[in-house]
Amino acid sequence: MARFRNNKKKAFVKPIMKKQPSVDHITGDKIPKSFVFSRGKMPGSLRQLQMDLRKLMLPYTALKLKEKRRNNIKDFLNIAGPMGVTHFLILSKTETAPYLRVARTPQGPTLTFKIQEYSLAVDVAHSQVRPRCPKDLFKNPPLIVLSGFGTGEQHLKLTTIMFQNIFPAIDINTVKLSSCERIVLLNYNKETKLIDFRHYSIRLQPVGVSRRIRKFVQNHQVPDLRSLQDVSDFVTKAGYGSESEADDEAATVTVPSDLGRVNRASTKSAVKLQEIGPRMTLQLMKVEEGLCSGGVIFSESDHGKQKTQETEVEEKEEEEVMAED
Amino acid sequence: MQKLYSKRARDYNSDDDDEPSPVGRNRNEQSYSRNEVRDVKSSDEEEEEPLNDDMENEMSEDEDGEIQPGITKFIEGCNAFRTAFKKITKTNISDDLLGPVLSAHQKLLAEKLAEEETERKVRGEAKKEKHLIGEKGHVKPANFLDSHEKFLIGVATKGVVKLFNAVNKAQNAQKGLNPSRSKDAKVIRKRRKEAFFSELGKTSSQTAETLTKAGTSRGTVGGEGPAWAPLRDGYMLTNPKLKDWDKMQDTTVENEVGRMSSDSSSDDD
Repeated sequence: MARFRNNKKKAFVKPIMKKQPSVDHITGDKIPKSFVFSRGKMPGSLRQLQMDLRKLMLPYTALKLKEKRRNNIKDFLNIAGPMGVTHFLILSKTETAPYLRVARTPQGPTLTFKIQEYSLAVDVAHSQVRPRCPKDLFKNPPLIVLSGFGTGEQHLKLTTIMFQNIFPAIDINTVKLSSCERIVLLNYNKETKLIDFRHYSIRLQPVGVSRRIRKFVQNHQVPDLRSLQDVSDFVTKAGYGSESEADDEAATVTVPSDLGRVNRASTKSAVKLQEIGPRMTLQLMKVEEGLCSGGVIFSESDHGKQKTQETEVEEKEEEEVMAED
Repeated sequence: MQKLYSKRARDYNSDDDDEPSPVGRNRNEQSYSRNEVRDVKSSDEEEEEPLNDDMENEMSEDEDGEIQPGITKFIEGCNAFRTAFKKITKTNISDDLLGPVLSAHQKLLAEKLAEEETERKVRGEAKKEKHLIGEKGHVKPANFLDSHEKFLIGVATKGVVKLFNAVNKAQNAQKGLNPSRSKDAKVIRKRRKEAFFSELGKTSSQTAETLTKAGTSRGTVGGEGPAWAPLRDGYMLTNPKLKDWDKMQDTTVENEVGRMSSDSSSDDD
């Protein structure tokens, strides 16, 4: 019986960070923090997805959160308060599909997404010729772009707010553009009712400079001048212009301050995005009032039949699929 | 009692007891015949041995006087064993799956092996199925960018560009002014506001309205009409931090800061 004695013990979680501020020191906003964990037994690929999500949520998340099977949501909730954790991302799995629940602590609401398809960061990196991962890519929180959510439906608005608040807010006046290195995109497709979840890295490239000179400035390597007659050829001779090099006007920005060696202030720079993964296709299945409990505000299965959302609040139906914890 | 014990012992050893004598006799005979054969063969390496054999034979004969029929002489037995062993090593075993097994057990073993095979197959299938279930939904992305991915990248790029431009405008406005000095701070505040509204464009008041609504949307249910028009095409939301623009506005108007932020936070909960 000794084995079961410390059932009541709180989940042991390492102190996440060494005195991370809970409040932004410039804007004074509260910094949202998150836990990413999974419920139930997970196959390897989903565990990897959980790890990828944690990396995505960096730096305000517990990267090495340890969980045990006997930890329930209450355990996480207990430590969430003192640590200032505001959001839970919970992965779970049923026979049909994996699920992702995004919840606000401590009161909810909880959004339940069915993961229709997903690709890991590793898969994405494998699919690319030159996967890019600078050293401090994950040192700053990502930006978030929500697109196509403006259909006026309540649950979509709620989703928008939830995801907007999951990352720290940016103050336009004080933000350093060099700290904007990643972007999370959520694109809602009206026809299929699916949400595309993508994660990109942002790179700025100076416009109007030949590729050779750009590479020279970036790499600091002695260029190969054997084939040239004169040094001036190196500057004047145009390299190959590939199709992707032709920058469209829409993707150019003017940088207010120097960004690295290459992107100088008040020069035009092109915004280049490269996917870093993970990639998910989500379907919003259910919205609950509480933290994985409480009344169902929105349910995909109900939504098809009856459009009135007011009555749905009254109906307290629990889908049996996710009715654990 | 002793009789019983001895009988039991005899029974127990009966196989051993009975067999050696006939075997020994057989071997004896065999060895004799082999000796003859060997003599006929007279291979190179074995030339020396008959001499030894003879000598030792003589010796033993000296001891015993004559060869007793039931007892195999040590040397002869050794030779016989050697030849037998050689014979065994020379025989090539058929490449049976089961290998050299006693024929009685052959069927049993075959059955057992077949059973194991089927069991393994079943287990492998179960494992594969489990793996498939676990991998459900896992998709490896294609090596090229299809149109959908390109569209998504385009949307994201648009958002980033919009934000960067906004930041650029906002931060250019406050260039050259020291925010710690109170005189400059006022100017900064004013310029920020102007820059902000100019960035938002003509629909400044309208967007502000929608933004606050976005903040409180959970409270109000279905009360929005034309105000949602800019949101409907999804364009305004492509900007990552519309909400923060809202907040930025708050910081400029200091009186409202506490109320607004508390409002929004309580709504978000």
